[in-house]
Amino acid sequence: MFFGPSKLYEFWLPRAAGSVTQHGSSRQPIFAFLNEEKFDVDGWMVYNPVEEYRRQGLPNHHWRITFINKCYELCDTYPALLVVPYRASDDDLRRVATFRSRNRIPVLSWIHPENKTVIVRCSQPLVGMSGKRNKDDEKYLDVIRETNRQINKLTIYDARPNVNAVANKATGGGYESDDAYHNAELFFLDIHNIHVMRESLKKVKDIVYPNVEESHWLSSLESTHWLEHIKLVLTGAIQVADRVSSGKSSVVVHCSDGWDRTAQLTSLAMLMLDSYYRSIEGFEILVQKEWISFGHKFASRIGHGDKNHADADRSPIFLQFIDCVWQMSKQFPTAFEFNERFLIVILDHLYSCRFGTFLYNCESAREKQKVTERTVSLWSLINSNKDKFKNPFYTKEINRVLYPVASMRHLELWVNYYIRWNPRIKQQQPNPVEQRYMELLALRDEYIKRLEELQLANSPKLSDPSTSPSSPSQMVPHVQTHF
Amino acid sequence: MEFSELIRTGQAQAELLRGPEMPPLRGTLCVTGHHLLLSPGPQATPDLWLLLLRSVDSIEKRVAGDAGTITLRCKDLRVLQLDIEGVEATLDIARSIEALSSLESVITSFPFFYRPKGLRLGESWHFHPPERYYKRVARETRAWRLSEANEDFSLCPSYPRAVIVPRTVDDDALARSARFRQGGRFPVLSYYHAPSGTVLLRSSQPLTGPQKRRCAEDEELLQAVLAGARPGARGFIVDTRSAQAAKQARMTGGGTEAKSAYPGWKRLHRPLERGRPLQESFVHLVEACGDLEQSMDRWLSRLDGCHWLSHVKAALSTACLAAQGMEWEGACILVHGAEGTDSTLLVTSLAQLILDPLSRTMAGFQELIEREWIQAGHPFQLRCAHSAFSHTRPKHEAPIFLLFLDCVWQLGRQFPLSLEFGEGMLLALFDHSYASPFGTFLCNSEKERCLCEVRTRTHSLWSGLNQPKEQRKLRNPLYAPNPLAIWPSVEPQSLRLWQGLFLRWTHPPEPSEVAWEKVWQIATDQEKTEGSQPTDSASEPQP
Repeated sequence: MFFGPSKLYEFWLPRAAGSVTQHGSSRQPIFAFLNEEKFDVDGWMVYNPVEEYRRQGLPNHHWRITFINKCYELCDTYPALLVVPYRASDDDLRRVATFRSRNRIPVLSWIHPENKTVIVRCSQPLVGMSGKRNKDDEKYLDVIRETNRQINKLTIYDARPNVNAVANKATGGGYESDDAYHNAELFFLDIHNIHVMRESLKKVKDIVYPNVEESHWLSSLESTHWLEHIKLVLTGAIQVADRVSSGKSSVVVHCSDGWDRTAQLTSLAMLMLDSYYRSIEGFEILVQKEWISFGHKFASRIGHGDKNHADADRSPIFLQFIDCVWQMSKQFPTAFEFNERFLIVILDHLYSCRFGTFLYNCESAREKQKVTERTVSLWSLINSNKDKFKNPFYTKEINRVLYPVASMRHLELWVNYYIRWNPRIKQQQPNPVEQRYMELLALRDEYIKRLEELQLANSPKLSDPSTSPSSPSQMVPHVQTHF
Repeated sequence: MEFSELIRTGQAQAELLRGPEMPPLRGTLCVTGHHLLLSPGPQATPDLWLLLLRSVDSIEKRVAGDAGTITLRCKDLRVLQLDIEGVEATLDIARSIEALSSLESVITSFPFFYRPKGLRLGESWHFHPPERYYKRVARETRAWRLSEANEDFSLCPSYPRAVIVPRTVDDDALARSARFRQGGRFPVLSYYHAPSGTVLLRSSQPLTGPQKRRCAEDEELLQAVLAGARPGARGFIVDTRSAQAAKQARMTGGGTEAKSAYPGWKRLHRPLERGRPLQESFVHLVEACGDLEQSMDRWLSRLDGCHWLSHVKAALSTACLAAQGMEWEGACILVHGAEGTDSTLLVTSLAQLILDPLSRTMAGFQELIEREWIQAGHPFQLRCAHSAFSHTRPKHEAPIFLLFLDCVWQLGRQFPLSLEFGEGMLLALFDHSYASPFGTFLCNSEKERCLCEVRTRTHSLWSGLNQPKEQRKLRNPLYAPNPLAIWPSVEPQSLRLWQGLFLRWTHPPEPSEVAWEKVWQIATDQEKTEGSQPTDSASEPQP
């Protein structure tokens, strides 16, 4: 019979973590509100938007931080704090909001530290069947373009397939036409909507559960189109990253409402461009910023505590994003500070309701429910146990832009996630390579420490006796052992 | 020298394109007896670019205006393009390459001329003698002996001089058994599994023919195997053909062991692909991998359609079956197909890798290849005459050895710490099996190698590979000896396309090379700190 989406995910849930109590219909609170776990680190402190924008060098001459949405009056699905062009007044923003679906106006996500081109995100313009125009919106996009003097065209990436964008006109949406936006060029990225993704993942489920489709495995895998969708999402993100990194132009990304495909594209492009997001904390900030604060509808997409499995709002968009990250980590084994387990744990707790991190649809709802006061953050669990989630091969490279190969030849099904509960797959737990490397690293650290202690002990003449005992922390660098 | 007749032109100006990741090279092109040389101008780097002509699989020439283009497709799956000035020069060079790359004579091949610095002739040839393996077996059991009945290759032209056989069977009985087996390949010991006291044997098919002939000595030989293992031991005969194919072989004089004639032995049929269909699978796969225009959304079904991964799966499952029979059932295993020189060796060598920790070391793996492939008479010269690009009709070509290497790669992927050698070793073996300056993979059997004096007149690949400077490419820095059997998963989602081989020349290698460097760095750092550690470390608690 028909499997609803929540049912679909159930078999990927570790049983121990699956303690979701019914919410809404049975009037019981979600488990995260009852969970009294204590951790050394408070994960809610990880993301501070002001600090994150400051890290990016914002505000600057061209971009300002606005609190116009402090009470979520401009846009109820956006965060309180937004970065907008310096030359756009708050009144301008209000007028632009009327022309963007759900008032999700174009705001800055990321700025290139050198060439100062930006990634801007928003929702579709409300063009409609009659082809409406809005001078304020047109002017606003031109203001964004002008934040970079040398650029004469702004690039708009519409994540949808062309036909979908046209079809959206019937329901009042649409896309930026050439006539209205002279100084912009629009490209469609052909990424399908949440319903297509849901059905695709359902097909993946069908070929791996309860039994793995043995004959013609690869052809069956192909017929799910899952990897093809992954390819399109990655290809789109690569284009965004390439535009910005080459300084060709600033980029505006939107889909329909700007909370599914848009979040995938901006966050993946930022991951390719900015090595900071490839660290454990950086990635947490990326998720917190581009997904949680900008209103990816986690509650609707996952259906936390909702009995209605078959709801059309369900879709594995965030899972698809994590899959893309995994594909990148496969292609660049040294570029990410985190390991596969980190990604799997994030996904497990996307569904588990043990933490408040992925509850509710947007920041305003979370604030109303006092989520940060009443629940524990997933990042508390992870950050108080960081060693478990570290990639031993990680090599920090500050300015490297990663362009993964988004070709079907180089994409793989994430077997360790999608088929991990299949009893016929022998799992080597924990990953033996990482296990061994953790051992080697720990050994090395230990030896270095001992060596330094011995050198210290053997060379009293070299160091001034009055200073050396008083500052041992300066002499022996902080040694981290992994056990 | 006779090569000079085949070389049509001395030299020409050319530009070499080596794929998207490498810068083009420009310089003077020159054909010699064994090589294609490109010497860049004096201003450029002084390095010569050198290609062994033997490694050219197919050549294509095109001329336009007063220039020409030669496309060389190599046996290691590389595709090279040469843009040459002058139509005449292009045609001459193309003809010279064509003639020189297809020379069949073994003794004029490059290994007979290759004299690298730092290596002495004949050095490593006795690196892995069968006697040494026999000594290992003899230490554990008294049921086996080393027979030199094949000293002059008269019993079996494709066996080495010495083989290991049951102690209770004399050389006359071996001779009779040899006459009852195709190509004289009577059952010999391939591997002794000490933990269970059982053995792995290999042979060719029995020549029962339509009359279902029998051979008392052959039956006694297999009986002696069971008796030598332990009282009441059972045996399995793993036939690498289908029951149908085995039956059909009788019409051409072959066949398989009748149940009544070999009490205690049970026959299992595990059909493995070989010969032409396997070669075609390889050709299709390489075609698919090289086809960059092909619409990518059909890639997976095209990969499926090549069936290469199903051959990998079949080979690994059959090897697991043989290994399980020994370790779990305590049974003796005899493997054969028809000739016993192809899929038979695939199964016996993989089963040993699964069971035997020693064969997973660098030295043990070389010994395994020497013993189970080279000396066991896998006809390398016939099987590896051409790779996947050749336009000539395949005669005896089949990538059985490549299939073996692919299976080993899958093992290494599933057990990343258990093999002492890495992907680099497997790639090197693939390259050298098709074209090599070393003599190791020359000829089809020990007998032919003796006739050509390969051992005294060429260098062994093992001495080349075992030089310290090569180690970093070949070894697995993560290796940690694993005393257990390694049972691979053969589920379809556990097997992957060997990208490092099949997409070696199309994929930018950089990120994985960076990772590899990093792994080595961590490993050597650790060794260094361990090495520089004073000796008191033993008394301290380990972290």
